[in-house]
Amino acid sequence: MRNESLYRLLAVLLLAVSIAPIGVAAWWLGFVHGESPCVLCWQQRTAMALVGLVCAFILRFGPRPRYIGLGLLIAAHGLYMGVRHSALHWVRDVGQGFAGLFFGAHTYTWSAFIFWVFVVAIALLLLAMRDGAATAEPRDPGPLGRLAIGVFLFAIAGNVIQAFASTGPPPYMGQSDPVRFSFDPATWVWSLEEWEPSPVSLRGRYDVEKPSLAGLEADPARGPLRDLPRLAPKSRTQIAAALDGAPADLAWEGSTGRFLVTTDRHQVAILDASLARVLNQVRVDPGFSVSLGDGLPGVAWLDPTTVAALGENKSYVVLAENEGADRAKNWRFFLAGGERFEERSRGRFATVRARMNYVGALAFDAAGRSLYTVTVPSRRYKKLVVSRFDRRDMTLSEEFLPALGAGLALAAEGRALDEYFVTGIAVEAGRLHALSAAFSTLLEIDLATHEVVAAHALDGVTRPTGLALRDGEWLVLGEDGTVTTFAR
Amino acid sequence: MEFLNFALIFTTGFLVLRRPEKESLAFRLLLLSAALTAFLFFVGSRGSVLPPFNY
Repeated sequence: MRNESLYRLLAVLLLAVSIAPIGVAAWWLGFVHGESPCVLCWQQRTAMALVGLVCAFILRFGPRPRYIGLGLLIAAHGLYMGVRHSALHWVRDVGQGFAGLFFGAHTYTWSAFIFWVFVVAIALLLLAMRDGAATAEPRDPGPLGRLAIGVFLFAIAGNVIQAFASTGPPPYMGQSDPVRFSFDPATWVWSLEEWEPSPVSLRGRYDVEKPSLAGLEADPARGPLRDLPRLAPKSRTQIAAALDGAPADLAWEGSTGRFLVTTDRHQVAILDASLARVLNQVRVDPGFSVSLGDGLPGVAWLDPTTVAALGENKSYVVLAENEGADRAKNWRFFLAGGERFEERSRGRFATVRARMNYVGALAFDAAGRSLYTVTVPSRRYKKLVVSRFDRRDMTLSEEFLPALGAGLALAAEGRALDEYFVTGIAVEAGRLHALSAAFSTLLEIDLATHEVVAAHALDGVTRPTGLALRDGEWLVLGEDGTVTTFAR
Repeated sequence: MEFLNFALIFTTGFLVLRRPEKESLAFRLLLLSAALTAFLFFVGSRGSVLPPFNY
């Protein structure tokens, strides 16, 4: 293709970018419809203007490498900005977002597409360009080129006006939550809020630390609930069976008289009633292909031969005992064992209220055919959320924030149930029993009323990791493998 | 700051169209404007530099 034809195409590209995003944004959406960009929208729009300006440079001075290089650099940053900004809204429910639409999509979502188009256009132009196209002297952009640059300047002029009214002269700058545009100076908001000191974070709200028992306060008297009845241990047993890793959770299966234990090295082990012997065990591969997280803090019997184990990231694996399991076939699922276990399924629980929290426990309610998880608090998200999942499709059925029932009171204003760090749960007769490693407290939550109807301060346990129910007893698992029994 | 940046862009575009002999100045203004844009976006998004997705 002749170079002059390419310049004409570039002029058309400049015209398009000047009219559609840059000009329309200020002259039509801004001045006519009162649309006002947020601080991030402004930079995206500015980068589109800069891409147009690079086109103007090429029209005037030829395709010099530094212009093409800078144009691609701006487009790359524009792509990043478009994704970074749109990501705030991409995961919302349908139709939700911020400010106006353009062909059915919110304006800020267009920028990534526009920068992608620019990158593609420059690549195609370079492919089609003949050698020696770069000129040493300024060239005449021709009528179409002059028109394109003129329209570009007109579009920019509108943005100069809008930017002055909406954001003000330096050092004022755009706002996260702007007000609609007006030509009336009395309504203008010139803000310095974006300059206020705030921490720099790479992952922002997704920067959530993994659950850890280290440093948790063990004394129930320092907990958020006051005047709790104290429970003294009835007996204490040590898990004598050799486990691979530190015990993470415990469950009891009454019909077969067997315990189920998980460890922080992703071992799932079935132990005899005396906790002395491993009857069956497997160490699941936590990486393939659903990541199970750093350990298995939750485990539950689904029936006398089927179990579910849960990672702190709400990913689960369902395993079934099978005396004739094919070890070679199971190799892909298990790091150790697999002769008498098979993997039935692996998946991820999706939540709404608990979305940004890790969990520390799992329970199964056979009567309700439901699995339960409870969140643990983090520095950023201090929430106690109970989530219920239907066993049939492992999909969220219900979530609630437990409320304080009659007869219970907070220790002081500002305290909350959210301070509890639940590491073990079990369900029986419509009640969720939740063991908190923080403040060594056992909560009983009515699953119909969603209220904490009873709470107990546990003596003699420090940072417990698991809970099982057995014949009118609470069995509390310690991270050292001690199982402490309390009478219910 | 956005007003300053668009004023810079307008000035640069004007130089390109009307004062092509000042190409070097225009390019420096273009660089300044690009850097200012990147800086202002960082200021506005520093609470989560990466897109707020699950990592």
